[in-house]
Amino acid sequence: MKFGNLLIAGLVTGSIYAVFAVCVSVWYRVSNILNLAVGDFAMVGALGVDNLYRVKGMPLPAAIATTLVVVAIFAFAYDRVVLRLAQDGPRRMEGIVVTFFFTFALSFFIDGVAKMLFGTDVHAAPALWSGQALTWASLHLERAGLLVLACAIMIGGAFWLYIRYTLGGKALEACGENAIGARIAGIDTRRYRWLIFVATAVIAAIFGIVESPITGYTYLSGATISLTGFLAAAYGGFRKPGRALVAGLFIGILEAMIGGYVSAQYGDTVLYAILAALVLTWPRGLGFESAVSG
Amino acid sequence: MSEDGAGPAGSHRTEAQAGARKTALAVRGLSVSYGNVVAVHDATFTVAEGDACAITGPNGNGKSSILMGVTGMVRRKGGVEIFGRPAPNGDVGWAARHGLTLVPERRQLYPELSATDNIILGCYSWTRSIGKARRSASFGRAIDLFPELKPHLKQAAGTLSGGQQQMVAIARGLASDPKILAVDEPCLGLAEAVARRVYDVLASIHEQGTTLIVVEEAPKRALTLCNARVEVRNGVAGAAVAGAA
Repeated sequence: MKFGNLLIAGLVTGSIYAVFAVCVSVWYRVSNILNLAVGDFAMVGALGVDNLYRVKGMPLPAAIATTLVVVAIFAFAYDRVVLRLAQDGPRRMEGIVVTFFFTFALSFFIDGVAKMLFGTDVHAAPALWSGQALTWASLHLERAGLLVLACAIMIGGAFWLYIRYTLGGKALEACGENAIGARIAGIDTRRYRWLIFVATAVIAAIFGIVESPITGYTYLSGATISLTGFLAAAYGGFRKPGRALVAGLFIGILEAMIGGYVSAQYGDTVLYAILAALVLTWPRGLGFESAVSG
Repeated sequence: MSEDGAGPAGSHRTEAQAGARKTALAVRGLSVSYGNVVAVHDATFTVAEGDACAITGPNGNGKSSILMGVTGMVRRKGGVEIFGRPAPNGDVGWAARHGLTLVPERRQLYPELSATDNIILGCYSWTRSIGKARRSASFGRAIDLFPELKPHLKQAAGTLSGGQQQMVAIARGLASDPKILAVDEPCLGLAEAVARRVYDVLASIHEQGTTLIVVEEAPKRALTLCNARVEVRNGVAGAAVAGAA
C-alpha cells in the first residue's frame, strides 16, 4: 500500500501546485501579466485568520470573513492604483519584463506588511475539519488533505468550464489575446482584469486558510508557493487553467513517487530533470509553443 | 495606427447627399489626436441609412482615425450621432449596441482562439449567453456568408490565411448584428482575387440592407461598391487654418 499512500500524498501536494497554477494562468490569460504575489495572498489568508482567531479572539467565521474582505479590498485597490496607471494610461506598459515588477513589488510589499503584523513564526489557520485521518485499509488521508484536493478540483474545474463553455469565458480569453480586438467587440478589458485579479486573490486566500494546517506558513511562505504554482502553470503554457490543474496534480504525484521509490534525498533533482526533459522532447504538446506564434 | 505620423487632415467633403432617407451616422467637427499629433481635424459628414459610403484619400491622412474616433476606440473631440442618438465618447460597447460595429484595420483577431470563437465574440455586444449567440440569426448569417470558412472554423484564427482572417473579421462584425458596418482597409495585403471576393461579400451585405462605411486607399475599387464618398485630404491651406472645409 506504499503506492497508494504515495499517490494520496502526491495528490495533496499536487493540488497545492494546481490551485496556484490555475490562479496564475487565469489572470495571465486576461492581462498578460504573471501574478507573482498570488502565494502572498494565500499567506495573508492563513496568517490573517490565525491572527484574528488566536490572538484577537474573534470567532472563526468572522475571522475568515474579515480576512477575505480585506484581501479583496486590497487587491481591488492595487488594481485601481497601480495596474490602472500602468496598463490603462496613455503609455501602456507591456512586455513580460516590465509587468513582472508590478506583481514582484507587490509580493515584497505584502511580505513586509505581514512581517510587521504577524511576526516571523510559523503559524497556520485552525483546521476547518479536524479529527483523525481518514483510513481505508492501510490508506491514510488527512481530512485537511481531502479539503485541499476538493478545493483544487473545484477551482480548476470551474475556471475550465467557464472558459470553455461560456461567452464570458471566451471574452476573458480575448482580453489577453488582443486587447484592441476585445474592445472592438465591446468587451470591457479593464473590468475583466480587476475582477479576475480580485477573484484569484480571494481564491488564493481561501486556499491558504484551508491548506495551512498541513504545511504551516510564515510571512515568507508566499514566494515559495507562487513559484511552485508557476512551475505547473508553465506546463499549461500560462494560458490553460484546465491543463495547469492537471499539470499541478501530475507534478505532485511525480514528486511523491520519486521521493518514495527513487531517492528522497535527490528527489527534487530527479523531478526537475524529468520535467526539463519533458519540455525539451514535447514542447508543443505541453503548451510551451503555440501553433500560432511558433 | 498608420496615421500616427500624419499631419492634420484638412478638407472633408461629402459628395452624395442623403436625400430624404434617415441619417444613420452624423459626424460634426470630429477631431482625433495622438499626443501632439493631430490625425483628424474638424471632420463633418453624414451617412444616410442604406448608403455605402467610401472614405477615401491617401495613406496617413487620417481615414482610419476617423473610424477609430467615431466608434470610440480612441478619444475624440466633436459630436457623433448614431441614428440620431449622441454617442458617448470612448464607449465602443455603446456604439456596437446601437448598431455601429467596426471591422478594424489589420483585423485585430484573437489569434489562438478558433475562427468560430472569434466570430461568436461579435455577439458579446448584445448577449452574454453562448447558447443565444449560437442560435442567433446574426451569427448564422455571418457563418453562412463565408462558405469557404466552413472547413476552417475550428482552426486557430492566427493560422488562417490573410484573406480568411479578413473574412473572420467581417463575420465577427456581422455577428454583432450591426445596422452600420464600418470596414477599415478590408483589402490591405490581400491578393487581387481575394480582394474581389471580399468586395463581393461587402456588396451582398449592403444589398441585405446594412449601411456600409468603407475606408479605402484605392478610390477606384471603393467606388465599384459605394454610392457616397467622403474625401480626406491633407490640404495645404486646410491643414493650417482651423475649421477649413
